[in-house]
Amino acid sequence: MEIQGYNMPDDLHYEENHFWVKEEGDLLVMGMDDFAQTMAGEVVYIQLPDEGKRVKVGKKFAKIESGKWLGKVYGPVNGELVAVNEELEMNPGLINDDCYGKGWMYKIRPDDKGELANLIYGPEAVEKWLLAEIKKYAEE
Amino acid sequence: MEAKYDFERKYRDQVLRCSNCGFCQAVCPVFGSTLRPAYNARGKMLILKEVMDGTIDLNDELIETLFQCTTCAACAENCPSGVNVPDIIKQVRKDMVNIGSCHPAFKGMNEVLKNHTNIYGEDEPEDFERERNKKAEYVYFIGCVGSCREDEATLETLDLLDRLKVDYTLIDEVCCSGVLEDVGYDMNEDLVRKNMDMILATGAKTVITGCPYCSRTFNNKPQYAELKEKGIKVLHISQFLKDFDFGVMTDKLVTYHDPCDLGRHCGIYEGPREIIRKIAPNFVELRHNRVDSLCCGAGGGVRGAYAKNSIAMARRRLEEVEEVGAEVVLTECNSCVHNLANAKLRKQKFKIFNISQFVNKLMEEAE
Repeated sequence: MEIQGYNMPDDLHYEENHFWVKEEGDLLVMGMDDFAQTMAGEVVYIQLPDEGKRVKVGKKFAKIESGKWLGKVYGPVNGELVAVNEELEMNPGLINDDCYGKGWMYKIRPDDKGELANLIYGPEAVEKWLLAEIKKYAEE
Repeated sequence: MEAKYDFERKYRDQVLRCSNCGFCQAVCPVFGSTLRPAYNARGKMLILKEVMDGTIDLNDELIETLFQCTTCAACAENCPSGVNVPDIIKQVRKDMVNIGSCHPAFKGMNEVLKNHTNIYGEDEPEDFERERNKKAEYVYFIGCVGSCREDEATLETLDLLDRLKVDYTLIDEVCCSGVLEDVGYDMNEDLVRKNMDMILATGAKTVITGCPYCSRTFNNKPQYAELKEKGIKVLHISQFLKDFDFGVMTDKLVTYHDPCDLGRHCGIYEGPREIIRKIAPNFVELRHNRVDSLCCGAGGGVRGAYAKNSIAMARRRLEEVEEVGAEVVLTECNSCVHNLANAKLRKQKFKIFNISQFVNKLMEEAE
């Protein structure tokens, strides 16, 4: 689905700080959405914590940085970090090139997959949320 | 022929004195990571000679070369002809800005500082949960990077000051604005005034800075001369801490990265090492140390404008940490900590801290 030029696939769940989440077997894969990577500009660094780190809903667990912008990565669900995209260590720009594919960031083993229901999901909800976000950032 | 640019009026003799020997190339962090001769000091001097000859003119095509310098001063230290390249580059950048040729990141930084309190334009930097602007013996001045990028490191430094029972206050500080002079602009007088008024209002006789660049700015820029005139001393945190006895020690193998702003620019090499000797008997020097230290790549605005190259420079520095097998890299500059931490690879298991942060960790563990 395209919303004012931003590519926001329908099948993904979205965390309110613009990280997408999708199911992959027992795990959840997460990355940065198109709106965020566009706003951030060229990503130059992403923190890739050690596997095993606990991830908590709404709590910062990593940092991401473009030239003059520093973002925080928040846990979309409670769980354990089980994999990171090591390609991003030398090539963080993959997030800009292909944020839903080669630019994926982390894999999390959730304590309870049911927590996905707390994220933004479905065309109507995503559109309403993103339009509000676009307006908010335009005003800043 | 009359000189067209201020850099020529001020530095013509120095530019002509460059003998193209290439000693600078061996120590230039930008050349070391890009292998582009035009980015090295010698390359820059050759270009400026051509500008003085009228063969080429300053224009947007030269931004990439002339704005890509960390002003680390390794070239100046190693120049047998006594050419002070960082001073020349800073003046050339002003000439570039005057003709409208400037890297957009630096133009943006100048604009941001007209409306915001820090170079990142962040309106709500970390407040560190401490009372501000109170009467105290010392002012602790954090700096933009410590406030907005390395807030966790700053928090630990503040915790250390609390443990040492230092009577300090934070202020509602704004950017010291010294960096503007490095990237082609003039210091922001409004910001300078705000900082001085807030410092003076505390009654403090000493300002301790977490950032060596802020320390340089307060001590050396005429805009801040009023501090000295009113008897206020400005110390970098490493100078302030060196006489304390912390009563803690680590058996880890520790090394030290000399920040350019503290080392080559201020001549402070031994103070930080004195602190480290008290807490880390297993100390090893990096291959390039003291005056020969290799820049982490963050200075001169390069981290903001050329982040990829900046991180590549930091990775070269960290290769030296691997060489000596250190478990902990200490420094005392939030820009260095930030860039080195960004550059550290997952396979590199050593930790990177400010000295003050590390001392605090040891004291916390000992409690």
